[in-house]
Amino acid sequence: MGDLSQTSVTAIILLLSGDSEIWEIISLSFGVSLSAILIATPPALIIAFLLAFYQFRFRRALISLFNTFMSIPAVIIGLTLYLMLSRSGPLGDLKLLFTQEAMVIGQIMLSFPLLTAMGHAAFQSADRRAWETAITLGAKPWRAFFTLMFEVRFGLIAAVVAGFGRVIAEIGSSMMVGGNILHATRNIPTAIALETSKGEFTQGIALGIVLLVLSLCLNAGISIFQGKGDLHT
Amino acid sequence: MTPIITIKNLSLSYSGKQLLDIAQLTLEQQQCTLLTGCNGSGKTSLLKIISGLLQPQHAEIEYQDLDLSWKKAKSLIQKDFIYMHQQPYLFDDDVINNISYGLLRYGENKARAHKKVMEALDWAGISHLAYRQAKLLSGGEKQRVALTRARILSPRLLLLDEPTASMDIGAKAQTSSLLQRLKKEGVSILITSHEAHTIDQLADRHLLLHNGQITDVATSTYNDNVITLKTAKRTHTK
Repeated sequence: MGDLSQTSVTAIILLLSGDSEIWEIISLSFGVSLSAILIATPPALIIAFLLAFYQFRFRRALISLFNTFMSIPAVIIGLTLYLMLSRSGPLGDLKLLFTQEAMVIGQIMLSFPLLTAMGHAAFQSADRRAWETAITLGAKPWRAFFTLMFEVRFGLIAAVVAGFGRVIAEIGSSMMVGGNILHATRNIPTAIALETSKGEFTQGIALGIVLLVLSLCLNAGISIFQGKGDLHT
Repeated sequence: MTPIITIKNLSLSYSGKQLLDIAQLTLEQQQCTLLTGCNGSGKTSLLKIISGLLQPQHAEIEYQDLDLSWKKAKSLIQKDFIYMHQQPYLFDDDVINNISYGLLRYGENKARAHKKVMEALDWAGISHLAYRQAKLLSGGEKQRVALTRARILSPRLLLLDEPTASMDIGAKAQTSSLLQRLKKEGVSILITSHEAHTIDQLADRHLLLHNGQITDVATSTYNDNVITLKTAKRTHTK
């Protein structure tokens, strides 16, 4: 217990001292995950809207599929992507394996179903009159779509925050397609795994604290946004 | 009288059940038409079809000297007609932004839109609501804000779905008074209501929707309307 407290204090000091290696890992982690969320969010929300507002064949099947993929293990995504990006795989020529781009692709695949399913739930809860009112007041469909997004913004922000929370802490995909290469593809979860396996707990705990604080902030954010949404309905 | 729109051979069905089957319906300019009918008779659907919000299985539209299918007429009628829900939807914003929404969509600049909104609020006697959150207004206030939001776009036809339903007497009187003023300004109105007496001063014409078909209840006064409507209902009951 004494060791744990001492290591935790050293970890906090390490974080606050601005250790370049640790902060490089943190910034890489945020860079990769933010890129993945930024790329995945627009198409996911458009699909979520279509699923909520339009009737078409296989709509229900698609909703079930996204709901199922929402909880797919990151390691399965990692394995699939690894097989596709490896030299003998169909996308081997792109030479993306063990790059940040591969990590971004993996995280897009992880966050996309979650963003779509939560976005769908948010649009589903929207009042259909909002769409009709926007159209009857002269909005083009794309403008009415943005109006609707504004009306359900709290639910959509909660979806994006939850998506970010999922990818920033995932290890399976990043480890398999990133390779945990220092200064290149090492992010917070893969660094924690490595340091722990080496018995170097200080850096692992320092990075763990970052994830813990982030997770706390994200959860608080989700609660605030969802609460605001409740107040507005 | 000049027709504003004529709809021919309109048919709408839901899961195999024919809801609307109207051979011809003409709405006249600067006229207020009252549309009555039982619950579920298709009044709301008809209003949404005319305003371009609901696609029927078939309909031919005569509008602005053009013979068009509903699909082709949709963008034209959406531009000129405004539909208002039974409980109007106000966006999650303040009253000013709600009323300026349509103006901005039609390319008005913000400063001019703001000026027009303030004038419109003054016209409706609701200037005191300008900076209030729209979602927090009472039902009657929401209705007046929505009418102001519609009026500011100078629609050729205003389609109102039960505008005075579930309102107290005071709110009903204020809404009726606004509708009177809109009519005097020359706005054509198609209005559905279960409470014919609330809009007795307003309606020039009375249509009855029954079994998916429109019957013109040819009267000019409220009393005649009610008598004819009752007779029509009795006939249908038999």
